[in-house]
Amino acid sequence: MDDQGFACAGIRPLSHGPAPQKQRWYRGKPIVSILLLAGIILGCLFCNAFIPKDPTYMDLFHYDEAPGREFLFGTDAMGRDIFSIVWYGGRLSLLIGFSATAISTAIAVVFGAVSGLAPRWLDAVLMRLTEILLSVPNLLIIILIQAILGKPNVLSISFAIGITSWTGIAKIVRTEVRQMRSSEYVLAARCMGGGFFHILWRHLMPNFISSIMFMVVMNVRNAIAAESTLSFMGIGLPWEVISWGSMLSLSEKALLSGSWWMILIPGLFLVVTLLCVTNIGNWLRKQTNCRQSNL
Amino acid sequence: MSETILDVQHLTHQFRLTKHTTIRAVDDVSFQLQRGEIFGLVGESGSGKSTVARCIMNLYRPAGGRIFYRGVNVCDPKQYRMHKNMLQTTRQMIFQDSTSSLNQRMTVADIIMEPMAINHIAPPGGSLRAEAERQLHDVGMDASYLNKYPPELSGGMRQRVAIARALSMEPDFIVADEPIASLDVSIQAQIINLFKHLQAEHGFTFLFIAHDLAVVKYLCDRVGVMCHGKLVEIAPAAELFAHPAHPYTKLLLSAVPIPDPRLERARVLQTFDPSDLQDTGEMREICRDHFARMPVEGVPH
Repeated sequence: MDDQGFACAGIRPLSHGPAPQKQRWYRGKPIVSILLLAGIILGCLFCNAFIPKDPTYMDLFHYDEAPGREFLFGTDAMGRDIFSIVWYGGRLSLLIGFSATAISTAIAVVFGAVSGLAPRWLDAVLMRLTEILLSVPNLLIIILIQAILGKPNVLSISFAIGITSWTGIAKIVRTEVRQMRSSEYVLAARCMGGGFFHILWRHLMPNFISSIMFMVVMNVRNAIAAESTLSFMGIGLPWEVISWGSMLSLSEKALLSGSWWMILIPGLFLVVTLLCVTNIGNWLRKQTNCRQSNL
Repeated sequence: MSETILDVQHLTHQFRLTKHTTIRAVDDVSFQLQRGEIFGLVGESGSGKSTVARCIMNLYRPAGGRIFYRGVNVCDPKQYRMHKNMLQTTRQMIFQDSTSSLNQRMTVADIIMEPMAINHIAPPGGSLRAEAERQLHDVGMDASYLNKYPPELSGGMRQRVAIARALSMEPDFIVADEPIASLDVSIQAQIINLFKHLQAEHGFTFLFIAHDLAVVKYLCDRVGVMCHGKLVEIAPAAELFAHPAHPYTKLLLSAVPIPDPRLERARVLQTFDPSDLQDTGEMREICRDHFARMPVEGVPH
């Protein structure tokens, strides 16, 4: 009887088989990385609530002490409690990571969009310019900018890192904008009188944001790593400004005295953060690839 | 009573392919549009219809000629800048492919509100969203579509959204660049009737570009025929279909299929040699309001 109905109306009655199993919401998502990163970020933000010692206080009776009951992660060569300063210093590292990324992404989006919408000759000039910047090692330019800006502080370091790491994103933005610029919705917006920033914000940005997301997240990682590298080499933040990088910069002496905790603890925090960010970035990249192939 | 709203004079545009080859897409095209009329521009693919439309909307800068809209020469950058606001609010364009003319990451409400938001127009319906809902209702869709994204809609619905977006500014002049070419036949009929209805209601001047002669005959007051970048004939629609003067128009008309199979079998395809166009010709008035491009000496048959 059911089949007759199908023959007449062309609508097959639904089969009442077992309901498809509900997909678990966390399937395929990097849950461990997200939780760890959230833990580290929240811990750094609200560290005042639980750190036992004043992070800037130097306890001259307890320097170079191994991890124990009073000093959970030990103390460094100046008697500071590592458990306290590792959370406290994480703030600065993350701040530098995010603000440098914000600077570089803003430059990259505007530069890439200008280059993508520009006439061919200007586009060629701008792109050769980025390629020249791209060919010089980043660290070299950062050191140069640091030298010009004078004594390093958090702002100048973020600025120096941000201003050197936009080239990759700018090239992606430019390619995407180049493809979109003659599409009819951009023409329609121009007919309506939309200006450059209106078109960039409403039409171009939503369409290329997914393809640069991976690079942006990776930029956070690179900025944190760059700050640590600079501080480790002694040209970044001075040792009295606490960040993961400046903590590591003290570790060269620790290597000689065999106090492993001074390197291992901040290093562990740094590596875990970077791994989590990388993992999330990779997941974002796979997401966008999936979505594009579905279209 | 008739007032010329758009005056295109000797419009010429060429595209540069390489350093040495240029293509003359539009060649010495002149026509006028009266306020409130529907003017159809027909011709085969690549005859330069869309280029004319885009020159009129300032998307291309023409290589030669002048375009006057309400007495403003829109090709002159200085005059354009002076009257920029008036030009952007009173002229609107509808594109051929609604898949690409609507940003697929914006909701229907955002798309319709966009021109009003750009030009800071105080909407008559209160809020922008209420106005969007009213416009959507005018093109035959209800408020439940406001939060949908273009890929969720069918082609006909998308084109209605594009029309609602153009109408939201209450424009005086609308250019529609083959607005029905990407739709199937039954939806084409709906959209054409919608255009006819909206034009009667709002009274805007309408430049309608198409390659479908039956549609043009049904919708338009006057028709211009383009061939290889040249305008070969302009006439009132009924006159053009009854007494085509130019051989290319005759070819186009003879290519229209006839529903009656007996007449269809007897249909003879006219021939036309496009090289005829290369020699100099000029527009002649054959009878009242009927112009055709003729060789300088003598009228063909």
